[in-house]
Amino acid sequence: MPESPLDLAARALAAVRSGDGAQATVTTERSLLLRFARSHPSQATAIDDRTVELTVVCDGHAAGATTNRTDADGLAACARTAQEGAEATARSRGDTDGSPGPHPGFPAPGPLRGHAGHDPETALLDPARGGTALEAAFAAATAHGAEAHGVWTAAETETAIASTSGVAVADRLTDAFMKVTAFAPSGRSGYAAAAATDSKALDPHGLAERAAVKAGFGGVAAEAPHLEPGEYPVVLESLAVGELITWLGLLALNGLAFAEGASALEGRLGARVAAPRINLSDSPRYPGTLPRAFDLEGVPKAPLALIQDGVAHGLVHDRRSAALAGGGAESTGHALAPGGSPDGPAPTHLVLAGGAAADERELCRPIERGVYVTRLWYTNPVRPKETLLTGVTRDGTFLIEDGEVTRPLADLRFTDRVLGVLERAEELSARPVLTSEGEFYGRRFATGVVCPAMRVGSLRFTG
Amino acid sequence: MRDLLTNLTQAAADRCDYADARYVRSRAESLATRNGEVDEVERHESEGVGVRVRRGGAWGFAATRELTRAGLEGALQRALEVAEAQPGAPATQLAPEPPARGRYHSPCDHDPFEVSTEEKLGVLLAADEGMRGDPRIAVIRAHHLAFSEDSVFASTEGALYEQRTVDCGGGVSATAVANGETHVRSHPASFRGDVARAGYEHFAGLALAEHAPRVADEALALLTAPACPDGRTTLLLDGGQLALQIHESVGHATELDRVLGGEASYAGTSFLSPGDLDDRRYGSPRMHVTADATVAGGLGTFGWDDEGVAARRVDLIRDGVLRGFLSSRESAAGIGLERSGGCMRASGFDRQPVVRMTNVNLEPGDAGSLADLVAATDRGVLMETNRSWSIDSRRLHFQFATEVAWEIEAGERRRLLRNPSYAGVTPEFWAGLDAVCSADEWRLWGVINCGKGEPGQTMRVSHGTAPARFRDVQVGVA
Repeated sequence: MPESPLDLAARALAAVRSGDGAQATVTTERSLLLRFARSHPSQATAIDDRTVELTVVCDGHAAGATTNRTDADGLAACARTAQEGAEATARSRGDTDGSPGPHPGFPAPGPLRGHAGHDPETALLDPARGGTALEAAFAAATAHGAEAHGVWTAAETETAIASTSGVAVADRLTDAFMKVTAFAPSGRSGYAAAAATDSKALDPHGLAERAAVKAGFGGVAAEAPHLEPGEYPVVLESLAVGELITWLGLLALNGLAFAEGASALEGRLGARVAAPRINLSDSPRYPGTLPRAFDLEGVPKAPLALIQDGVAHGLVHDRRSAALAGGGAESTGHALAPGGSPDGPAPTHLVLAGGAAADERELCRPIERGVYVTRLWYTNPVRPKETLLTGVTRDGTFLIEDGEVTRPLADLRFTDRVLGVLERAEELSARPVLTSEGEFYGRRFATGVVCPAMRVGSLRFTG
Repeated sequence: MRDLLTNLTQAAADRCDYADARYVRSRAESLATRNGEVDEVERHESEGVGVRVRRGGAWGFAATRELTRAGLEGALQRALEVAEAQPGAPATQLAPEPPARGRYHSPCDHDPFEVSTEEKLGVLLAADEGMRGDPRIAVIRAHHLAFSEDSVFASTEGALYEQRTVDCGGGVSATAVANGETHVRSHPASFRGDVARAGYEHFAGLALAEHAPRVADEALALLTAPACPDGRTTLLLDGGQLALQIHESVGHATELDRVLGGEASYAGTSFLSPGDLDDRRYGSPRMHVTADATVAGGLGTFGWDDEGVAARRVDLIRDGVLRGFLSSRESAAGIGLERSGGCMRASGFDRQPVVRMTNVNLEPGDAGSLADLVAATDRGVLMETNRSWSIDSRRLHFQFATEVAWEIEAGERRRLLRNPSYAGVTPEFWAGLDAVCSADEWRLWGVINCGKGEPGQTMRVSHGTAPARFRDVQVGVA
C-alpha cells in the first residue's frame, strides 16, 4: 500500500527537530497532457511526482525548503535546510529591536466541507481516452476544412497539510481540460475550450466544431479588415470576461496589495465600483467550478462575497496579509503558498453571477456598431493600482453591425481599466460557465473562473 | 546515473525509433526582504528522470522521481504507451547531430549555495535600509536568487554527457505611493532584478546598497513628474528595456516551432514563414542579431542543449535581413536545414524540451556611450527599465511601458517623465533603428520568467544589448 500524502506530511513534519512551529505540505501530481498541431499529435507529457515543502518558524521568522526526495534522508535534509534558513533569518534580525519576526503563526484546524471534485475514471489517466479525443477533434476540424491545434489533458492531484498547530488535512481532485484552436484556409483562427473535474464532460468533437466554424466565419477572404482605434461597444465571451476578472482578483481584491496601498479598492470598500448588475464572489463549491477544500495554509475554503450589486464588499486574505491589514482581519482561505505568497493571496474560485440575456447573440442585439471578442491574450497590467491592463484579442474577433455579428476583424489591442469595464457592463448572459486557460506551470494547480458573457458599453482599443 | 540512463536507452532502442533520457537535479534559492523584514527564505530541490521516445511519428514523454532501474523502466513504458495511444502521424526526420559526449560546467567563481544565508540577507537588509526614510515609499523589496542544475543525458544515438550550470543574481525596488499615483523604480532590472550564468560574484557586483538611495529618490520623483506626452518621436531605449524588446519581437518571432505552427494553441505563431529565410528585411541595416549559446555569463549558455546539440552561435538577423531561426533537430529538418540551431531546452526533469531562446543578442554598434547617443539626439524620449509588456500572438503588434523616461532636447537629458509607454509593429519599429551604442556599453541582461510550452515551462534566457535609438515611434499610448 503506497504511503498516503497525509501520512507523508506527518512523517515530514516529524523530521523537523527545532523551531517554534512547522508546516509540512505535500503536493502530488499525476497528469497526462497531449498536444496537437495542424491536426497531428505533437507532444505528449506524463508526469508522476510528489513534492514535500517544509516551512519552519523560528522566533517569528519563517523559512521553507522543498524536495521530491521522500525517503528518510531526503526529508531530514529538507528539514535541516528549512530549520537553518529560519535560524539564520532570526540571527540576521536579532540585532534590531529584539521583537519577534512577522510570521503570524500557523492556523488552528477548522471544519472542512467536502466536495465532489474527484472522478475515479478521470484519475486513471488513460492515454487511449486522450487519443480518441484527438481523433474526434481532427475529424471535426477536417469536416470544416480547418486544422486543429490544442491540448487534451487530465490529472489527479492531491494536497495534504500537517502542522504543529494541529492541522492534518488532505484534498484529492481531478481536473480535465481541452482546447482547440482551429485555423481555416484563410489563415483566420477560432477557439473553443472546456474544463471540468470529469474528463467525460469534455466534448472534443463539439469543441473542434465550434472553433472551426468560428475560424471559417466570413468565408475565404484572407485579410480581415482593421478597425480604427477608439472606443467601441463590445460583447465579451465568457473566456474574455474570465481573463479580466482574474486580473481584478490579483490586482484589486488581493488583501496584501490593499494593505500596502496598491489596490484600486483602497478607500472604496463599501462604495460602488461596478455596475449594479455585477455580483462577484469567491465560491469554492459553486456548480461547475474546480472545487477545493482548503488553501495552502490549511484554512478551510468558504464562500466570500467580493462585489455585491456593484458595491465592493470584501477582499481575500492569507494569514500574513490579514496580520498586516490589522483591524481584526482574518485569513479568508486564499493563501497560495505556505506562509503566504510574496505576491499576496488571490481568489481561486471566482464566480460572476449571470444576467438576463439568453446568450451572446442576444447581447449583440442592441449594438449598432461594435466588436465581438472571443478571448484576450497577453494581458498585462500597465498601472496596477488603476487596474489598467493592455492585451490583444485573439482567435475570433468580429464586427457587430445592427445587432448581428457580420464579419471577421483583425485582432485588436485594448488598453483599459478592469473596473472601468465593470462600471460600463450593460448586460450579462444568463448562464455562467467555467472558463480556464489551462496553464499548468510548476506543480499543477487547476483553477478557473465561472462567468457569463458580457456586453460592455465601451472598451478602449488602442491599436 | 550514467549507467542507469545508458542501460535504459539501450533497452529502448528496439522498442522505438528514437529515445533519450535526462536526469536532472534542480536547485533554486530565493531570499527576499520587504520593508525591513525578511520576506522570503526558500530553497527548492527536485530530481528525477524524463524519458522521451519517438514511435510511429508521435512523441511520448514520461517523468518519474523513482531513480531506480524499475522506476526508469516504468517511465519508458509509460512514454511508449502515450506515444502509441495518439493518432497516427507522418514520421519526420531529425537533423543529424554527432552524439554528444563529455562534461560541461558553467563558469562559477563562488558557488552561491555555499555562501551563508546571513551574508546574503545582510546585503539585502543593507539595501533595504538605503531605500527607507520617506513615508511615501510604501513597499521596499530586495532579492537574491540562485539556481543550479546538474544533468546527465543519454540517447539511443549514443550520446552521453553531464553538465552543471549555476545562475545567480538579484535586485532592489522601491514603490512610491501618494495622491493616487503609484510608481516603482528598480535596479538593475525590474521583476526581481538581473540574473547571470555565474556565481555569487555576479550578485555581489550588483552593488545593491550603493544604488538603493537613487532608486528610492527616483520613485519619489516620479510621483510629481509630468506624464509622458503622446505622439511620434525619437525613442532611446536603455539596455534593459531593449532586452525585452528583442525578447518579444525577435526572439519569440524566430522560434521555428512557432513559425511552423507547432505552438499555435498556446504561445502563438509568427509573422515569419520558412520562405522568409535570407530574404525578408526585418529591420534597418544596423540590426545584427545572433543566438549565441557560447557567450560567457548568458542564461542560455551551455555545453549542449537538452537534446544533445552542441552549443552554437548563429546569425538570426544580419544587416537587417533574416538569416536564421531558433530551432530543434525536428524543426530544422522540417525546413531542410542541415543542423539544429541547438535551442531545445527543458525547465526540469518533468518537462520535455521545446524550442527556446538561448542568448538572443543585438550586436553592438558604433554610437559610443549612452551619453554620446543622447548628445547626438535633437529631440526625443529616453525610456528605461521595463514595467509592462504585451504583444500579439504573431509577434507583430506590441506595447511596452517602462518605469521611467527622460525628455531629450537639444542633445541633453531634461525632465523626468512618469508613465512612459510606446507601441509599434515589429518590422516598422526595427526599420527605425538608426544607432546602437558601442561595445563598451554592451552587456547581457537576464530574463528569468520566459513562459512557453504545455505543460508550462519557465525558462531563463539572456539578451546582450547596448542602448539604441529608434526613429518615428509612437509614445505615450497608455
